[in-house]
Amino acid sequence: MAQNIWKTAGFALIAYVLIMVFAVPMGPGLLELRETGENTNEVVLGSNALEYHLTGFGTHWSEDPEQLQVILRSKKNLALLNVIEVLDDTHARIGLSLPYSLPSKSWDVLINHPIDGTLLLENGLFLSDRFVDESIVLPKVSIVEAEPNLPFHFPYQPSILETIRNLMLHVPMWFTMFVLMGIAFVASIRQLATPKAIAEDEKAEAAVKVGLLFGLLGLTTGSVWARFTWGAWWVDDPQLNGALVTVLVYSGYMVLRNSLESERLRARLSAVYNLFAFIILVILLMVLPRFSESLHPGKGGNPGFNSYDLDSALRAAFYPAVLGWILIGIWMYRINLRFTRLNKQLR
Amino acid sequence: MTGSSPSSRKASSWTRYVYLTRHAFQMELRQKNGLAGLVLFAIAAVYTCYQVAGSRADADAWNALAWVVLLFSAFNAVSKSWPDDSPEMRNYLIHVVRPHEWILARITFFCLLLCGLTCIVFLAFTLFLGTEHLSGNQGLAFFGGMQLTAMAMASLLAMIQALAVRANGGFGLIAVLGLPLIIPVILIATRYGMEILNGVAFLDTAHNLLFLATLSAGFGALGYILFPYLWSD
Repeated sequence: MAQNIWKTAGFALIAYVLIMVFAVPMGPGLLELRETGENTNEVVLGSNALEYHLTGFGTHWSEDPEQLQVILRSKKNLALLNVIEVLDDTHARIGLSLPYSLPSKSWDVLINHPIDGTLLLENGLFLSDRFVDESIVLPKVSIVEAEPNLPFHFPYQPSILETIRNLMLHVPMWFTMFVLMGIAFVASIRQLATPKAIAEDEKAEAAVKVGLLFGLLGLTTGSVWARFTWGAWWVDDPQLNGALVTVLVYSGYMVLRNSLESERLRARLSAVYNLFAFIILVILLMVLPRFSESLHPGKGGNPGFNSYDLDSALRAAFYPAVLGWILIGIWMYRINLRFTRLNKQLR
Repeated sequence: MTGSSPSSRKASSWTRYVYLTRHAFQMELRQKNGLAGLVLFAIAAVYTCYQVAGSRADADAWNALAWVVLLFSAFNAVSKSWPDDSPEMRNYLIHVVRPHEWILARITFFCLLLCGLTCIVFLAFTLFLGTEHLSGNQGLAFFGGMQLTAMAMASLLAMIQALAVRANGGFGLIAVLGLPLIIPVILIATRYGMEILNGVAFLDTAHNLLFLATLSAGFGALGYILFPYLWSD
């Protein structure tokens, strides 16, 4: 019982992670401030006031509609906008009555709300038809930053949105594959040191099989993510190429195994190839992405997620996910190994 | 044959290495049709590219085609078995030379073979697809990059070819095992070529060449360490 505790731990961790992935709400953010092309018809704002639609993500505006403040910011200039009506939690009608001459055309949009806190949409508003005079100073408005009052949530990331949950399902696949291929690498070295037996070769085979499965799952989850964030199932990117080539290299390993009849020769040749394969994996997934520009999260010389992008809520789900998937992967590898050996005994 | 016999006990490792390398070339030169086949494949591949892209190829396409032709010519060049690869010959060689002497000789042979092939590919390529994207020293830098890439491919393919021969897997196996492993080399080479064509100064992109040299040294070292396991019974 005691020696199986790590399996239970693996399962418990994955169960905990899945609950986290699907149950934890998303943090709030601002999606867009869009012109409706209509006048507001609000007498107080004057005849030249334009109506805008503000769209939030995961916000709670209808719980305290009176307290919603919408602010424009450009360098040191601030302007307060009029909230005409809060339609629901994430939609509001905004009236914009700014003078014709402004210090800038491009404005950041901020909101203050007692639940959501202060949210920022960089360059959220572009007024193309205004006259720009940088010397203009808008009248001062005093605004106090609001402290958010939110339950436990995953952070809002522009354009990633809900799919940040995929972090717990996509990234650990590669970690697990890496661990399994590492097991196969060590087994192959030991196989070369013990040419008379094939026990280590069986280990390498089982580990590569399970590792390939995790690699394919990593490609699939990554592809779904790419479709959402980049708009295509596959994009040309060093990180993605490296991942695909790694899977191809290990598929080559399986082809090599199947083309050999003699058990001992197969053990030796596939061990030799596996050493090449693992070194190429390290080069492709850890060295090359650091030398090239990539769209992949964590760009700028770091193939993983940037440490600044992980807040405490993500950490609480991500680290258990990595550990849990690795434990499950090792368990799958051991079952696969035992299955292969039993099959051989039966034959 | 001149020179000391390879089986002589007094012969040093170096002598045996030189002997094996020369022997490989003699074997290759004896099969004139094999050598002619390599050249013909390279020129036919270049001519196919010329038919497909013509002289209209922009810098991107020119660069891509050059590396693809080099890659496939190199695979074609090594995708055969030499008389040395037969099981009988191996049984004999095991007793007279050490495995690392043999693999180093094979790597040297592949290096020289592929470097020669690269010259032909480069000449044919610039002849058919034009040199409008290469001006002044760019041609030299591009050619140098091709030679270094050929060496990196040679040091990897020597091992992969030996593996495929040992597995009796035919030459489809060389492609299946070799192509994915060669991709890092090709990625670096195409990036280097593109930067050269874009007019980046040679010294600003020379780190790619350093990377290629490191890779070929790494592949060579792996082959040196692992080949004995491949060779013995």
